Amino acid sequence: MPPDIFEEEEFETKFTGTTFRRILGLLRPHWKIVVAFLIMIAITAGMDSLFTFVTKHIIDDGIMAKNLPALYRLLAIYAGMTVMQSFWVFGFIYSVGVLGERVRYDLRQMMFNHLQELSLSYYSRTPVGWIMSRVTSDSDRVADLITWGLLDITWAATSVISSLIFMLFINWKLALIVLVMVPVLVVVAVEFRKRILKEFRNVRKINSKITGQFNENITGVRVVKALVREDENAREFGVLTGDMYKAAYRAAWLSALFLPTVQLIAAFAISAIAWYGGLQAQVGLLTIGGIQAFVSYVTFMMWPIQDMARIFAEMQHAIASAERIFSLVDAVPDVANREGAFDPGTIKGDIEFDHVTFYYEENVPVLTDFNLKVKRGETIALVGPTGGGKSTIVNLLCRFYEPKEGVIRIGGVDYTRYSLHAIQSRIGVVLQTPHLFSGTIRENLRYGRLDATDAEIEEAAKLAGAHDFIMRFDKGYDEPVGEGGNNLSVGQKQLISLTRAILAKPEIFIMDEATSSVDTLTEALIQRGMERLMRESTSFIIAHRLSTIKRADRILVIEGGKIEEMGTHTELLRKRGKYYALYTRQFRTQMEEAFDPFAEKAPAPAD
Amino acid sequence: MTVSAKVLNYDLKNVVTPNRLTGLWRMMSGFRWHYLGATLSLGVSATAKTLTYILLRFFVDNYFTPGPKPVPLPVVALGFIVLAAFEGGFSFLSGRLSAQTAEGITRRLRNYLFDHIQHLPFSYHRKTQTGELIQRCTSDVDAVRRFFADQAIGVGRIILLFVINFVAILRLNATLGWISIVVVPLVVATSAIFFRRVSKAYEAFQEQDAVLTTTLQENLTGVRVVKAFARQQYEIEKFERDNQEKFKRGKHLVRMHSLFWPASDILCGAQILVGYYVGAMMVIRDEITIGTFLAYMGLVVWIIWPMRNLGRLIVQTSTGLVSFGRVLEIIRQDREPLDEGDVIPDGNLRGELVFEHVGFQYEDGGKVLEDITFSCSPGQVVALLGSTGSGKTTLVNLLPRFYDCTEGRILLDGIDLRRYPRRYLRKQIGIVEQEPFLFSRTIAENITYGVGRDVPQEEIEAAAKAAAIHDSIITFPNGYHTLVGEKGVTLSGGQKQRVAIARTLLKNPRILILDDSTSSVDTETEAEIREALQRLMENRTTFIIAHRIQSIMDADLILVMDKGRIVQRGTHAELVEQEGIYRQIYEIQTRIEAELEKEIENAS
Repeated sequence: MPPDIFEEEEFETKFTGTTFRRILGLLRPHWKIVVAFLIMIAITAGMDSLFTFVTKHIIDDGIMAKNLPALYRLLAIYAGMTVMQSFWVFGFIYSVGVLGERVRYDLRQMMFNHLQELSLSYYSRTPVGWIMSRVTSDSDRVADLITWGLLDITWAATSVISSLIFMLFINWKLALIVLVMVPVLVVVAVEFRKRILKEFRNVRKINSKITGQFNENITGVRVVKALVREDENAREFGVLTGDMYKAAYRAAWLSALFLPTVQLIAAFAISAIAWYGGLQAQVGLLTIGGIQAFVSYVTFMMWPIQDMARIFAEMQHAIASAERIFSLVDAVPDVANREGAFDPGTIKGDIEFDHVTFYYEENVPVLTDFNLKVKRGETIALVGPTGGGKSTIVNLLCRFYEPKEGVIRIGGVDYTRYSLHAIQSRIGVVLQTPHLFSGTIRENLRYGRLDATDAEIEEAAKLAGAHDFIMRFDKGYDEPVGEGGNNLSVGQKQLISLTRAILAKPEIFIMDEATSSVDTLTEALIQRGMERLMRESTSFIIAHRLSTIKRADRILVIEGGKIEEMGTHTELLRKRGKYYALYTRQFRTQMEEAFDPFAEKAPAPAD
Repeated sequence: MTVSAKVLNYDLKNVVTPNRLTGLWRMMSGFRWHYLGATLSLGVSATAKTLTYILLRFFVDNYFTPGPKPVPLPVVALGFIVLAAFEGGFSFLSGRLSAQTAEGITRRLRNYLFDHIQHLPFSYHRKTQTGELIQRCTSDVDAVRRFFADQAIGVGRIILLFVINFVAILRLNATLGWISIVVVPLVVATSAIFFRRVSKAYEAFQEQDAVLTTTLQENLTGVRVVKAFARQQYEIEKFERDNQEKFKRGKHLVRMHSLFWPASDILCGAQILVGYYVGAMMVIRDEITIGTFLAYMGLVVWIIWPMRNLGRLIVQTSTGLVSFGRVLEIIRQDREPLDEGDVIPDGNLRGELVFEHVGFQYEDGGKVLEDITFSCSPGQVVALLGSTGSGKTTLVNLLPRFYDCTEGRILLDGIDLRRYPRRYLRKQIGIVEQEPFLFSRTIAENITYGVGRDVPQEEIEAAAKAAAIHDSIITFPNGYHTLVGEKGVTLSGGQKQRVAIARTLLKNPRILILDDSTSSVDTETEAEIREALQRLMENRTTFIIAHRIQSIMDADLILVMDKGRIVQRGTHAELVEQEGIYRQIYEIQTRIEAELEKEIENAS
């Protein structure tokens, strides 16, 4: 997928019936609430028009007729209606509000649940930011449309229609004048709203550029200062804020023009009513209450029309949002359980790559006709240049991806016959850059095995050598790790990640060794933890550290999607081939690091 | 709508006052007339609205009863249009003027902050979190903008509507006037209390929103971990918990709104009803005309309903003030003067440097450098060797006066460094960092960044070739016009460094600072970079921050540093003769080769 598809805001779509029906389908489980709030809002709107009608009678039958009993009766009705109205208002705000939150909740959960099923291939071609906006802002926009939007449209339509009915009832000739005005008002309002929306999008776009500039100038302040670029930067930024000024001013200007324009159109109607009504009044065809009612109806009418315009303008974008949401939940996972997938209870056994071919993109082969047999309990070290195919082997083994051709067998069985859960719950993976979740250390460790007791967690931490540093925190195991584990050092994160894998008691252990160097002590601890795992499970290590490589039962030099060399450390050294070159180079750098005389600890050779 | 340069360049340092309101008033400098105009226009607009109801009164009183008509009916009808045009026209004018004010003030504030921040000294940047600073420059600035655009003018609008309509009703009938404001204090008070609570509930809602976003983001970025441990169900449950909590908090907000609005409806409805009753009785007793009553009915609405929003505006105003305070904290900081200093030599520096008992410590304590004394002649190479935290970086930071030393003095060409203006010094000094920061611009723009003149394409390419980066650049999709960063290509550490070398070649400084650690690049590029660096160092006084010996063996002076002090000094030849750290490092090199030999022999 080209990246520009992920550009925000450009995603305009045509109005399609299917999407629209599907959006409304989101309301189906809550149809009772929908019916309830639609009825309540319709009553509210009808009552609004009725208030004006009652007022007309207060004036004509009460005040002008000087009929006190009638006046009292009408005022009592008015009072009763006010109280009743407040119940309806409470009812619809509450029901539509809660429903709105509910739909948002449903949408978010629906997307999140589906995201858990999607394969890694989806994640590799979809930026995280794009997915985030779907779950956050798009769900809001769609929920707003089908709750508050639906409510507002119903309110607006009922208001306009009921006012027109009352007006027709009071004086049909005058009502016709209003009837002519309504469509004009609607067209003008919709056009305005569309333009205003467009201007505000423009403002948002420039605004994100401004944020970007701030960001860059603050993070790069050293370069800016060193190159004395301040004046030029300020000038460039000034151009940007100048654009912002123009865009924001234009948006505000249009918004400020909107209401007066609508009001002016209404004023023409009022003027016509006054003229024609004045003439009719002189022949007794229109009462004072009647003229008052007309003025109120017309003055009030611009609000529902305004609302309608807003929703029509926003609807297009809400539908585009919905389409993006649906595209996410309709995405089919590449890797899924086959029919009749089962859990064998254990996946201990020999592992075999049988003529495996794999590529991420067509015509860019990564592994071609790859063969490998690994005995149960063996430790395999994978070495070789970046992009050679090491990570792909691991990805296939974890069944993040499946072979395009050929078969991977675990314990002699094609692993696609197992359920995904059966494989992945028995694999322990330690990634190159450890990923921690916000929460406490304990919660992060327990990720390895959810039913682990505190004692088991502690035991695993001791095995991995993480216990000591954990206890040094004020809250020990309950110390929060911060967002993404920010409160911990890289080495500490690696130890947590390793403990997590130990706790999982994996049958297959996979580790992508970190390249970033940690202090010697942590390094030794990590090695010890790994050793334990390597003893107990079949292990695949993408290795960088010499000590790890040497400890492996077999070393595979992977280059260009092929096994270039294979054997034990001594065998391969003797060959003086690729491994030899790789090893000697690594040896030099590692030694230099190890012998760093400035390090606090006394230097010790790496092995 | 153009803003004069004088207004745009108003020194916002003036807004730093003990009183925030005075500060806000000063913020408006240059826009006060606009703002006054906006307020006056609002007044005119509100008056026109009021007059519409007075016209209604005139219309009803004269045209619904038999009798002489003061003016022909069409004139009255036209009157409605004219008044609406006035109301709308001035409301538009007010909107325009207030937008000009708010956007103009914001533009000036943004420009000022941007420039201010890049002029703040390193000591400030060192102790300030980037995210925090950016937030102040964006969301807090936006809150200040809203203060001027919506809140200040909104409060003014409500007060004007109240005053004008109240006066109008009083003129119609005093009793009616006083009766119609009975509930106003109550409405204002409840709305203030309500919105205060709503804003708290909203904050709680937003907090939960942030929690949910974090959970989502961590799930997405950690998708491999989730899958590797088969924790999908666990993640779903976690997300559901957070999602549920957000739903609950949202529901709480809804409940508050669903109670406040109908309650205030009843309150205002009761007020209106009482007014109707009293007015109706007056009409029946012939104390007022029916026209007056109708006008009253229209006007009273404009006194009461807007009051319900006053609480919201008050609460928002207070958050606007808080944001203003946060922005002020940045403005309050003192800039580092770029042009202060009395020595600007004609032409270039020679590049002779003398450090005399130089020491440095940060304001918050902790000595970083102590008793640094050495000197070097123009064109010499000084290498600094030492571990992280030994003070190497701080030492070179003193040269472009990123910091000034706190003890002793540094002489450049015989003159105290502090007498040179920073701008001059920094133009004479080039820095190539280990992994330089590049900007999201094209490669060509990054190469010419800060060179300070128009550089022809041939010259850019020549520099790129000398820096051994040209060949890489032409493989990029748009060559020199390829964007760097997220939207373009990602450069490796070594490539970034070579872009910086090309830039420094164009800048042609007299003094060079190199952060030379090539550990992360592979052997081939290491040689290329070394060659490029050699070219760059010719005829310049150079300081190299080094981690390894190979890169500094040719240096004229090697300073071995530890804990802020120079522990050994001399040339390579001298230092290997001495007992000490330097020789240890040197010996390790030979030992490594020997060990490797041994190991390979063991294997075969």
